Amino acid sequence: MTQLLEVEDLRAGYGSVPVLQGVTFSVAEGETAVMFGLNGAGKSTTVNTIAGLLKTWGGKVTFDGEVISGLPASEIVKRGVSLCPEGRRVFPQLSVRTNLELGAWTNRSVQAEQLERVFGYFPRLEERSAQMAGTLSGGEQQMLAIGRALMSKPRLLLIDEASLGLSPKLTQTVFQVVDQINDDGTTVVIVEQNVGVLPYADQALVMQKGTITFDGRGEALAKTGDLRAAYLG
Amino acid sequence: MHELVLAGGTPFSVQLNLLTPLFDGIANGAAYGLLGLGLVLLYKSNGIFNFAQGEFAMIAAIVTYVFDSGTGVLPNLPFFVAALLGVVAGVLVALITERLVIRPMFNRAKVILVVGTVGVALLLIGVEGLLPYPKTEQLPDIGTVLGVRPYVAKVDQIPIADQDVAKIVMLVVLAIAAYVFFRYTRTGTAILAVSQDSTAARVVGISVERISAISWGIAGLLGGVAGILLAVPPQGTLTPGAFTGSTLIVAFAAAVLGGMTSLPGAFVGGMGLGLIEAFANADAAFVPGLRSVANGQAELAVFVVLILVLLVRPRGLLGQES
Repeated sequence: MTQLLEVEDLRAGYGSVPVLQGVTFSVAEGETAVMFGLNGAGKSTTVNTIAGLLKTWGGKVTFDGEVISGLPASEIVKRGVSLCPEGRRVFPQLSVRTNLELGAWTNRSVQAEQLERVFGYFPRLEERSAQMAGTLSGGEQQMLAIGRALMSKPRLLLIDEASLGLSPKLTQTVFQVVDQINDDGTTVVIVEQNVGVLPYADQALVMQKGTITFDGRGEALAKTGDLRAAYLG
Repeated sequence: MHELVLAGGTPFSVQLNLLTPLFDGIANGAAYGLLGLGLVLLYKSNGIFNFAQGEFAMIAAIVTYVFDSGTGVLPNLPFFVAALLGVVAGVLVALITERLVIRPMFNRAKVILVVGTVGVALLLIGVEGLLPYPKTEQLPDIGTVLGVRPYVAKVDQIPIADQDVAKIVMLVVLAIAAYVFFRYTRTGTAILAVSQDSTAARVVGISVERISAISWGIAGLLGGVAGILLAVPPQGTLTPGAFTGSTLIVAFAAAVLGGMTSLPGAFVGGMGLGLIEAFANADAAFVPGLRSVANGQAELAVFVVLILVLLVRPRGLLGQES
């Protein structure tokens, strides 16, 4: 199977503090990979570095055969990698519709088609399209953040903490939509602490102290003790 | 016309004393609004107060003057060409400020950026002081440039100056243009997005650096236009720091009064404060002898009104809830 994303010995951090100590994994096109790990393990740092929000200290990231590490975030989005960041980070004083339209900033030609697609996944967003994003509930803001990330029609969607702060029911709804997005052809990498996402994962990754300690199929992780070790030590 | 006679026997016209401050207030209000517009724009886009806005205006006025009068080895250009070069200079200074001062500190606390703009203002005042041009000169007003009479009309013998009309027209045009820019263009929306969450803006692929440069460039343009319209007789001057020392502080108050996030608010706030100031000053003329007893009533009135408005409506008259 073709590898869409290849991360090789990736090193990054904040200021002079290193966080990623040589992260290596790859994700095949069309699959859903889930990355588990405790707070501070380096999960968000990994996706933020892949998306170009953080500088790469060492190693490289290859997307569809081309090295993207070192490129500005805007260029990485243009090439087909989109991030739904931790904490949703919607534009609170802009309408839902404007938030979504901004998601297509780098690829305006697909705006109308993607808007229809996003409203198909999240009909609630269409109902609230004129509402200021800051007035949405936490769950609706999460839907908006995922929808906005889809607006550029990415080939790879990175989702950082999809279930954070959501009720169990809403979490399942979000996971099901992400599964649908994947079924529709978008490769997905989800950073999660909620193991309830595991049934939707083709590939599972476990991070500890800035390195990948497990990389295998989702069902294999459930059988090994790696997940327990990652969370309970 | 109603004539009243005070106990001291001094007659005065009620009508005259209302029209004069009305016209003065609108003219000064336009000046505050013009400078305030640039302040609001940078507050909307960067979330900071730009203390260098007055000097962007002054640089534009100085460059206009030296090209209009052909100072030194420079050619004597038609006024509107010189004014265009002046505005370009204002934009360039703003862009240099963004690149050398703002961008390197982009992720620092906003207060550090504000202090940075104070530093830029002081630096520019120093540079202007070193430039070889007559510091007490003024730019010609629009009536002189066009070779027409200096007033559009007279109301009850009080002339409505061409220059004041030009200031108001320009303020309205620029406020509407800036409003349309933010409301209806992609770049305007991107500037708002960056101001609300620069990380999220990066995430969707907006180049935050490019957007920052665009907003500072527009602020330089607004400052430049303001400078050229304000450095004219009777009160205008090309003295380094003159705008920062006088007009800018009231322009800040005007922008806050109108609502720091509202471009039309800069217009409303500017006019409001201009009128309050003029009528408070007129009071001294209205009551003979008051000026010898009380001074500074205009400043007092401006800031009392500002504080009262902010107590009742903290976001300003037209500002949005944040």
